[in-house]
Amino acid sequence: MQNAIEIRGLTASFPRFRLGPLDLTVPRGAMYGLVGPNGAGKTTMLDLIFGLGSRDAGEIRVLGLDHREDEVAVKRVTAYVSPHNSYASWRQVGRAIRFVSGFYPEWDHSYCDELLRRWGIWKDDEIATLSLGKVMKLGAILALARRPQVLIMDEPMMTLDAISKQELFSELLALMSDGEHTVLVSSHNLADLERFADHIGVISEGTLLLEGATDQLLENYRQVSCTLAGELPAGACRVHRDGDKVRALTDSIGGFVQALKDYGATELTVRPVTLEELFVALVE
Amino acid sequence: MSAPNDIALRIGPISPAASGALYQQIVNGFKREIGEGRLPGGTPLPSFRLLAEQLLVSIITVRRAYEELEREGIIYRRQGLGTFVATDGRRRARESKRRDAEDLVRSAVQEATGSGLSPGQVRAFVSRIAGEAISEQGACKTPSKSAA
Repeated sequence: MQNAIEIRGLTASFPRFRLGPLDLTVPRGAMYGLVGPNGAGKTTMLDLIFGLGSRDAGEIRVLGLDHREDEVAVKRVTAYVSPHNSYASWRQVGRAIRFVSGFYPEWDHSYCDELLRRWGIWKDDEIATLSLGKVMKLGAILALARRPQVLIMDEPMMTLDAISKQELFSELLALMSDGEHTVLVSSHNLADLERFADHIGVISEGTLLLEGATDQLLENYRQVSCTLAGELPAGACRVHRDGDKVRALTDSIGGFVQALKDYGATELTVRPVTLEELFVALVE
Repeated sequence: MSAPNDIALRIGPISPAASGALYQQIVNGFKREIGEGRLPGGTPLPSFRLLAEQLLVSIITVRRAYEELEREGIIYRRQGLGTFVATDGRRRARESKRRDAEDLVRSAVQEATGSGLSPGQVRAFVSRIAGEAISEQGACKTPSKSAA
C-alpha cells in the first residue's frame, strides 16, 4: 500500500543546525507520533513538507506526490496545524472560516459549525482574545473541516487540558475511521503519544533514531537490572553502572539475559520499557 | 441491544505508567469483568473506535486486545454485527486467568529459589504468602453476589 509520507535522504542546512540525512515513513491510515528533544528538527522537517524553507537534497513524497513538483496538489490533500500559525490577522473567527473555506470545495460547513459549537468558539469571537487552547482548537477546526487526507499537527496537545485532548483525539479517530486518512502528530509528551500513536518515529539531532509500530518497538526492548561485579556481556544498547549495580537497556532480550546469568549476575529483573524510558535511554 | 456504555469505566483506567503493555491491561480488564460474571455471554462490546476514544488509546491497541481475547475464545466477532462476549466466555476467562496465575506463581517460585531458599523453604514461603493474601482479600471483600 502507498505510504502517506515518505522522506528519503532529506538534508537541509541552517547557520546553527543541520537536518538529516533523514529518512521517515508514515504508513497510510496511521496515527504517527513524532518525538524528539527540543531542537531535534521536528518543526524544521514538518515545515519542509509544506514547502516552508528549502532543502539541500533528498526527496519528500506525500501520497506519492513530490512536495515541490506537485506542490499545489500536496497542499490540497494535506493540512498543517502549527502553534506558529497566527490567525489574528483575520480578526474574527467567522472571517477566518470564510477565507479558508473559500479555498476548499470539499469544506464541510455543518461539521465546522458543529465543532465550533462543541468547543465553545463563536464566529464573532475576536481571535486575539482567544485562549491559547482555543486558538489551537480553531486551527484544528480549520483543518478538520476539510477532512484532509494527511493531517499534520505540530505540538497540538501542548496547550490543551485533559478533556480537550480527549475531544481532539476523538475527532482524529473519526477522521481516520476509514483507514485512509493519516494523522502525524509531534509532541514532547511521550505518555500521550504512547497512548494515542500506533506508529512512532524518534528523531534526534536531525536524524531518525527509531521508527515503527509503537507496541512492537516497545516489545523489542527490556530494561534489565542486576548485580554483577565483572564485565558485562554484549547485547546492551545502553548501560548505567553504579559499582556492581547494573541497569541496562537491551534489544536482544533472550540472549542478553541468558548471557548475564552465565556471567554470574544476581538479583536479575527484566521488565518492559515505557516509551519515555526508551526515549531517554536512546537520546541521552 | 447496544454495548453497555460503562464498559470503558470498568476496564480502565489504562495507563502507560501501570505495569504491562496497554493492550495487555485491556485484555486483563476484560478477563476480570467477564470472569467475575459482570459481562455475561452475548453482551455486545464497544467498537474499536468507541473503546479507543473512551480509553484514550490507539485503535491498534484495542484491536490487538480484542484479537487476543478472541484467540482465547472469550469473545467473538461477527462480520457486520460487532463483537460479543462468548457464551462460555466466563468459563474461558476464568481458565485463562488461572493459567496467568500459574505463570505468575511459577516465576515467583523461580525468584524465591534464586534468593537461596531450599525447596522446602520455598514451599513454606509460597503457602505463607498465599495464606496472608487470601485473608487480606477476605477482609476487604464486601459480602457479595459474585459467589457463583
